[in-house]
Amino acid sequence: MAREVMDQDRPSRLTALALAFLALIWVSPFFWLMTNAIDPAATGQLEVPQSIGIDNFVQALSGSAGRQFVNSMLIAAGTATLTVVVAISAAYPLSRMRIPGRNAFLWALVLLRMLPATGVIVPMYFAAQAAGLLNMMGIVLALTILNLPFTLLLLKNFFDTVPIELEEAAYVEGASLWTILIKIVLPLSKAGIAVVWFFSFTGAWNEFLLPLIFSRTEAGFPMSIGLYSAFGRQGSIDYGFLAAFSIIYAAPAVGVYFLLRRNMNTGFAGVGVKG
Amino acid sequence: MKYQLHPWLASNLWVLVALAIPAIFLIGALLYFTGWALAFSFTDLELVGRKAVNWSWVGFDNYARLFTRRGFLESLWTTTIFSFFSAIVGQSVLGFLLAATLRTQRSVLRGVIEATIMLGWLVPDIVAAFLWSATTAQTGLINNLIITPLGFEPVNFINEFALPVVIIANIWKGTAWSYLLFSAALDSVSREVVEAAKVDGATAFQRVWRVILPIIRPHIATNMLFITIWTFTYFPLIYALTGGGPGRQTEVLAIFLYKQSFMVGKLGYGSAISVAMLVIVGVLSLFYLRLLKEPK
Repeated sequence: MAREVMDQDRPSRLTALALAFLALIWVSPFFWLMTNAIDPAATGQLEVPQSIGIDNFVQALSGSAGRQFVNSMLIAAGTATLTVVVAISAAYPLSRMRIPGRNAFLWALVLLRMLPATGVIVPMYFAAQAAGLLNMMGIVLALTILNLPFTLLLLKNFFDTVPIELEEAAYVEGASLWTILIKIVLPLSKAGIAVVWFFSFTGAWNEFLLPLIFSRTEAGFPMSIGLYSAFGRQGSIDYGFLAAFSIIYAAPAVGVYFLLRRNMNTGFAGVGVKG
Repeated sequence: MKYQLHPWLASNLWVLVALAIPAIFLIGALLYFTGWALAFSFTDLELVGRKAVNWSWVGFDNYARLFTRRGFLESLWTTTIFSFFSAIVGQSVLGFLLAATLRTQRSVLRGVIEATIMLGWLVPDIVAAFLWSATTAQTGLINNLIITPLGFEPVNFINEFALPVVIIANIWKGTAWSYLLFSAALDSVSREVVEAAKVDGATAFQRVWRVILPIIRPHIATNMLFITIWTFTYFPLIYALTGGGPGRQTEVLAIFLYKQSFMVGKLGYGSAISVAMLVIVGVLSLFYLRLLKEPK
């Protein structure tokens, strides 16, 4: 059998069967999700929807569910924007000025962040509590701090690829630092900045642990916490509603990936990570 | 620094420094928090009550407690089982097999598998947890489609087989990363080398074991490095699915840390746990990095 598995030109019937089985495992939860989401009378069973409608989706975007969607948007967009703005401002000087040991420093920071985030959560919680930041603002700040090392490294590498001659020419023509930044550097690294923004966006959108610890009031729950508290509950579960809610919650994260698939590759080529 | 700064930068030096200040401040905060976590682990700081204010230094008590009290070692074992089966056996091996079998196929099946494992990877952790919670529930898919038609009583999988459910859910969620990495790795193996081995009479197994695997060895090490770190410290999916239960069957280190810090309230002990996790992950990383560098 091993021979047939690897004999690449004619896959055996057994391989095809194994693949079909795997496909079934991966597909069925999604299929179940779809059928339940479009059926206003869904019961959590896998069955042909008795009726088809968008009631579940409407429900998943109104009331407290709607507010959670807005909260998630605020947290994700806030984190992404703050991260990118702070990182751009520091990455440009970092890229253009020869500060000794800057690369080693950046890599050390990135390695530090590779280690479990759970480690810094306890002091972060304490600091946020002392500063009265156990809310969405605190989540945005905490995520920005956690995102920053990697974002800085990425953006510095993008700026490194902008030819210095262009800036020189602009300077000779009489352009100021701001003009150079806004008219030359930023447009030329647009793709990279977009990747970083969306990357931070999805990261914050999916985040579960920080909101779990930082969100004190139900009005401040993002979708991750909303979904968690809804299905973890004992008793009757409104499967149709939760299915629609899940689809709405998953859509931005999935959409962003396909939107940026091409940019993503160039983005990571810029970091020079082998792998 | 004898390096000549470009004129438009030199004349705006203070602006540039000012621009960098927010980032310096936030990076400083990150370093400060990391140092703080280390310092906390030598105190008896608690979340609420008297010791939230009047804490004191306790030396290595928290670290001693890791080994003398019940909890840490059990969680370490659970984490090891979870990581080994879901990351190394599951995601890595399955990802490789899928990459190896699918790459020469141009079928609908390939499209379906690729699209859905990518979807599994991209959906938020809590959505994956909801899907698997619903799938394995007493009225869920597995019971409806397999167990009940076979004439058995419906099984509550999360209660009966918590760890396997969590492991399978994580394989389902994370295989895409290994699949993508190994697909790229296999593309870098030149066809001639494999053909030459075939001509020389190597069996399919020998071709994989003796030719392909040694070539993609750096990719294997990279993959192991990343997925081990991620899985070892993974929290959301497991916590949302089982909350660490039933009992403490699925209480991996990340959940143990969370519960000790924020439910029991022992922040000092929690910090010691996270420092221990850091050390374990660090040692594992060094091991994989050696594997990555070592000449074949």
